[in-house]
Amino acid sequence: MWMAGMTFSEKMLKIDRRIIFVMIGLCTLLPLLYPVGLPIKTSSEVRGVYDHIESLPEGSVFLLSIDFDPASKPELYPQAIALLRHAFKKNLHVITMTLWVSGTGMADQLVTQVAKEMGKENGTDYTFLGWSPGGQAVIINMGQDLYSAYPSDYRGKPTRELPILEGVRSLKDVSYLVSLGAGRPGVEEWYVFGKDKYKFEMGGGCTGVMAPGLYPLLRSGQINGLIGGLRGAAEYENLIGQKGKAVAGMDAQSATHLAIIALVIMCNLFYFSLRQQRG
Amino acid sequence: MPFEMIVGAWVATGLTLLIFSFLYKDNPLFKLAEHLYVGVSVGYVIVKTYDTVIVHLVVKPIVENGEIALLIPVAIGMLMLTRYVPKAAWMSRYAFAFIVGMGAGLAIPRTVSSFILKQVEDTIRPLLSMTGSEGVTFSMNLLNPASHLNAIIIFIGVSSVLFYFFFSIEHSGVGKAVARTGILFLMISFGAGFGYTVMARMSLLIGRLTDLIEFSDTSYGRPTVWLSLLTVGALFLLARRGREQPPDIH
Repeated sequence: MWMAGMTFSEKMLKIDRRIIFVMIGLCTLLPLLYPVGLPIKTSSEVRGVYDHIESLPEGSVFLLSIDFDPASKPELYPQAIALLRHAFKKNLHVITMTLWVSGTGMADQLVTQVAKEMGKENGTDYTFLGWSPGGQAVIINMGQDLYSAYPSDYRGKPTRELPILEGVRSLKDVSYLVSLGAGRPGVEEWYVFGKDKYKFEMGGGCTGVMAPGLYPLLRSGQINGLIGGLRGAAEYENLIGQKGKAVAGMDAQSATHLAIIALVIMCNLFYFSLRQQRG
Repeated sequence: MPFEMIVGAWVATGLTLLIFSFLYKDNPLFKLAEHLYVGVSVGYVIVKTYDTVIVHLVVKPIVENGEIALLIPVAIGMLMLTRYVPKAAWMSRYAFAFIVGMGAGLAIPRTVSSFILKQVEDTIRPLLSMTGSEGVTFSMNLLNPASHLNAIIIFIGVSSVLFYFFFSIEHSGVGKAVARTGILFLMISFGAGFGYTVMARMSLLIGRLTDLIEFSDTSYGRPTVWLSLLTVGALFLLARRGREQPPDIH
């Protein structure tokens, strides 16, 4: 609360937090309602995933592990949609699954929606294996015998009878894998228990919070690309030429970032000014 | 528009607004949405786990395919439940021993290989590449992650941060300078982490607001408009009632 005799800096440092909430809300809402279309530059880490999928010949096996739940949907859902559209456009054999039980229904809805949009058939062009318990143990199991890790797909069809899984006995038969992870199990587990052991090429996608922690894997070549947060999804949407929710959100993202930078600078100015006044 | 889509839009909008009401202040509407979230999440996980594990991975293979060997992991799993019977609780230790032993055996070698050896190799290898058959080469491009200058910066960063966490030697003199350098690298890392965290949180807000804008369409029956008015009205009534009732002194 403001009290009589307070200096301007004191008043600003004790400002009602709800004013800041309204400001951030407006910075987000206005660009969503009136987009200006700020340019989006593609980073080398996102291009790494795109270029690898682009280089895969038709019919290659692409495994997408949707390792997140609805809590991370705004960041990772657009990434998954963009990746699936790209893979389907390239006529890859798309195998999808999840290591997160709470994301099973969402992952099924996501895969079905994009496959329908791209005119792909379940079992022939793609499959959703669903969830299997064990996290890292599932990855190891898939590396030894995919049919044993997933005896049936999400719809209950035996995996041995699925045309799309013909010749795909384990992770060694996968051409490229992308894990879209919001935590554990996710990208790190896929690298440690999957790629490092069974030697297939791998890329990653993650929430913004996780991205700094995954950069060491990217730099050392342990993963060949990384899609980080909504920004990464927007870059991927740009690359495949199908702009979606991620690109639409980029103006709002830039506006809120500017607002937060301004708030951080102002807070520091007021703090140091107050410290100087108090001696 | 299918009926279930419209109902879904109304439920999603209502719960989003109830959660957002916390930004004004803590209130019963927020608590209702919070408890619903926890309850639905737990319920969903229990049902999916039961269906996938018990029905599809245990009961069906045993009953339909006669895979009797599955009874072994089932028995180990059942031992966990003995925790609820004090006299038989000791039996659960065998199950835990199995899980801990297997987990450690699987994780330790792979983690050491992937995160320690591989990272150490990647910190040192670029430095060694400076001296090749053509003599000593050095690339100064800061924007190229693979440049030698960046390799040296990374090497200094790794060494100084490791030294900062090495407490057996007093951080004085040269040691103090190295530890300070380590702190500098840690600060840059925290800054990058904070920046990405802000981006992630804003992305979540953008996701919710995008949905609220979409659900303000007439095809959904404008749930955003009606439920916003209802939430504001409810908050107003709650605030008024709070002012009328004397605070509980107990």
